[in-house]
Amino acid sequence: MSRHGQRSSRLRHRPSRAVPSIIAGILLLAAGVGLVWLTITRLVNGTWPTLLQGPRDWLAALAWNDPVLRQIGVAAVVAGVVLLLCAIIPGGFNALTIDDSRSVEEAEAPPVQERETVMTRRAVARLAKARCLQIDGVGSAAATATTRRVHLSVETSLHEPGDLRTRIIEAVQTRLEETGLSPVPQVTATVRSRD
Amino acid sequence: MRQTAGTLNRIWLAVLGILFVAAGAALLLQSNGTLHALLNTARFWESVVTGDLHAFFAQPWVAAFLLLIGVILAVLGLLWIIAQIPRKNTAGAYRLHDDGSQGFTLCDPSVLAAAVESRINALPGVVSSAVLLRGTASAPDLSLRVTVNDRADVQDVIHRIQTSTLRELSYALEAPLQRSQLQIEISGRSQSTGTVVHSTGTVVY
Repeated sequence: MSRHGQRSSRLRHRPSRAVPSIIAGILLLAAGVGLVWLTITRLVNGTWPTLLQGPRDWLAALAWNDPVLRQIGVAAVVAGVVLLLCAIIPGGFNALTIDDSRSVEEAEAPPVQERETVMTRRAVARLAKARCLQIDGVGSAAATATTRRVHLSVETSLHEPGDLRTRIIEAVQTRLEETGLSPVPQVTATVRSRD
Repeated sequence: MRQTAGTLNRIWLAVLGILFVAAGAALLLQSNGTLHALLNTARFWESVVTGDLHAFFAQPWVAAFLLLIGVILAVLGLLWIIAQIPRKNTAGAYRLHDDGSQGFTLCDPSVLAAAVESRINALPGVVSSAVLLRGTASAPDLSLRVTVNDRADVQDVIHRIQTSTLRELSYALEAPLQRSQLQIEISGRSQSTGTVVHSTGTVVY
């Protein structure tokens, strides 16, 4: 269970699958603790706990073609497929790359062999929201960002929004381009008039 | 900037998934008789347990073996859960000079990190920063998380960090940086150091 050492892993990464791993870890731990408790009880008292009597009788009378075994088999296959999907489905990146080469001339390039500059998706959403709120006519705004798309939900007090949506998209797109996001995510917006 | 157990999780989830699918498929094939036809296992109408379970579990080595299995499962589960805690994995003391005849020079990376943080926090538009140093004195890894104001010029902040702060750190260590990682965060808060001028007014045409 050792992890990578004292070198940095990449800032832009996919989800670490912590939730399914914690659930699987807790189940493993529970199974291990249960087994240890049962065997220690057996070693101390000389007899197995009475709660095993029922499962033992059930197991002794069980045939291979019992429907319960088929159900257990199906459940195991389903659980295995779910675990495999958790491991295989890559998930989205947590951050967007920023092109930092255009801000640094060749002569004044920093003495760094490998550079990585990123902005988290949450930060991109905040940046887009902040730029959106600076536009005249915008009452409130909420933004969500993925690595390819930034979506803004805007409320305006204007009865006739007119070209507000276009202005928002252009302003936010320009701000993201100036920031150096590479590639620049596509900006979409929905504008709703307050009643 | 903290390191998580992404690769480890994917490997163990895949291993467990394969084991579950294989066990479930074997059970299904055995219960409908296919496995008997293929591998000559027990017939599907026979009992799962053919011997005396009571006598089998009465043997002392069975309890000891199951105890060992239980301990292994519990330790693996506990280690897997502990591995989910994000870690900084900062570098140990940088050994700037390690020639015993001329004396040792050690430098705590947290001192350098604090100096870098202080320099970055003074840059225009920067709200706060966090710095981590990994690697060694001759091949340092620098990880930065810089929170800038939502009105700041991000490219300008990056330019200043790369042309001044990183260069100064490299000069101080007398070695090029092996890797530099910069994570930009955005905040609505204003800069807490330096001089920030808020301007409001009305433009009259």
